[in-house]
Amino acid sequence: MSGLVDAVAPVTRRVRAYFAPVNRAAGVPAIFDAAQMGSFELDVPTAPWVDLGWCSGFARKCATKVAPLRTGAPAVVQTQVRTELEATVSLEFESWGKLQMALAAGSQQMNLLVTAAGAAANGSGGTAAAPVPLVAGSTAASLNVGTASGSFNVGDLVVVDVDYAGQVGFVGSGVSAAYVASATAVNGDVNYVRRVSLNVARVIAIASGALQLGTPLLAGAPAAGMQVSKLVGFVDREGGGWFQEWSALFVLEGEQGDRVIYHYPRLQAMQGSAESMVALAAPLERVRLAGAFRALPVKDANDGETVVCFRSYLPGAMRAV
Amino acid sequence: MQNAKDTFYTTLRDRLAAVNPARTIVVRGVTRPAVLVEENELPSDAVPVDAFRLRWVGLKADPNGAQPLVTMSCEIRYATDGNSGNGGMDRGRLLAGMDAELASAVSEHPRSAVKMSYSAAPPVAMGTNVFWGDVAFSAAATTGERLERVATVEVFCYQEAGEL
Repeated sequence: MSGLVDAVAPVTRRVRAYFAPVNRAAGVPAIFDAAQMGSFELDVPTAPWVDLGWCSGFARKCATKVAPLRTGAPAVVQTQVRTELEATVSLEFESWGKLQMALAAGSQQMNLLVTAAGAAANGSGGTAAAPVPLVAGSTAASLNVGTASGSFNVGDLVVVDVDYAGQVGFVGSGVSAAYVASATAVNGDVNYVRRVSLNVARVIAIASGALQLGTPLLAGAPAAGMQVSKLVGFVDREGGGWFQEWSALFVLEGEQGDRVIYHYPRLQAMQGSAESMVALAAPLERVRLAGAFRALPVKDANDGETVVCFRSYLPGAMRAV
Repeated sequence: MQNAKDTFYTTLRDRLAAVNPARTIVVRGVTRPAVLVEENELPSDAVPVDAFRLRWVGLKADPNGAQPLVTMSCEIRYATDGNSGNGGMDRGRLLAGMDAELASAVSEHPRSAVKMSYSAAPPVAMGTNVFWGDVAFSAAATTGERLERVATVEVFCYQEAGEL
């Protein structure tokens, strides 16, 4: 390289989104350290970050209010104070999937479990068919179901999680997917955790009693007692009292080797499920999942300041700063 | 600007050669990937078929900023008569194949390349990247049995200090 190069404004074409689960029970978000991980390869994010793909219409708004503090007569601005700390983010996902739908959903995002024969119809899916137990030897990418493998087909969608057994509080392995107030509220449904769980994958091969998954399970190797249910798709609802919460990362890759990273340790959906229709060629329209989120605060361990977003800039090589 | 033009050409040539190594052309007795820059070749009215011909057309420069941002339009022309063994009846398929090769090469990640100066051997890497937008395809034109298309790509670069 010839030497130091003048700095220019970053030029980017798209935004890449990532998320990581927040430990809801402990109230601990995932922290991204741009000093250590900022230059990660976009296709292979460091754990616990999970790729959500490209998104468009990315817009972040600072709603923090700065007000003047006046004293004297006549009143003169002596200083300024922050009266509210707030930030919002909105975007549209370029792809649909369980994770994208879960983030964009205003409340619980549920799995449409295959129903039991004769189950009564229900908006978010009727009574589910009996789950299939796992046998020893399962991993995050391979589910050992033994002789039950004959009841599965390549291409099936499956969810892997524990039975609901009266637990209250946050449920869902890997990611808190819902909050159960009481067993009564969920009718003691043994499949309720699998109904809301984000621990889903698609079966891409079946061999020797094991279901090979297209992507590893978010929660890693299945724990003892987990079972497998088939599902046909996903459903979210307008309404519901649960707030999803995520740690999120948005990366703008500059064409000059520079990079801008927005890290929101805590984001909650601030609107119900929504879509935008983008005209392709009449009458065709592309349907994009639309999400709008409000950032919640964390304490910066360096100085104890309350913040809602970290914006990092990583200049390109040999760029003047 | 010449460095950016050369860099875009070599990048596109290498990518197209990787997408379809069998697409070659003989120029002045040398077999090479079927990508050439018209202004770098001997003037000729002959249209080489089954090859990509780059023609630099528009030029804009935005002087604002620490480095001027230069935008150049590159027309990529290609044509096919079809395969004589098939009586030219496969010309549509062959043109579609070239469309796909070009789209693949231009949209391959990353859509940028370190700007190189080819005025010395070996080439010298410069301080900025050349980057480009999406490829825009015009309608296919028919001349006799020949099918032709012009695709356009906007190529961007920063004019570095001291660079001609």
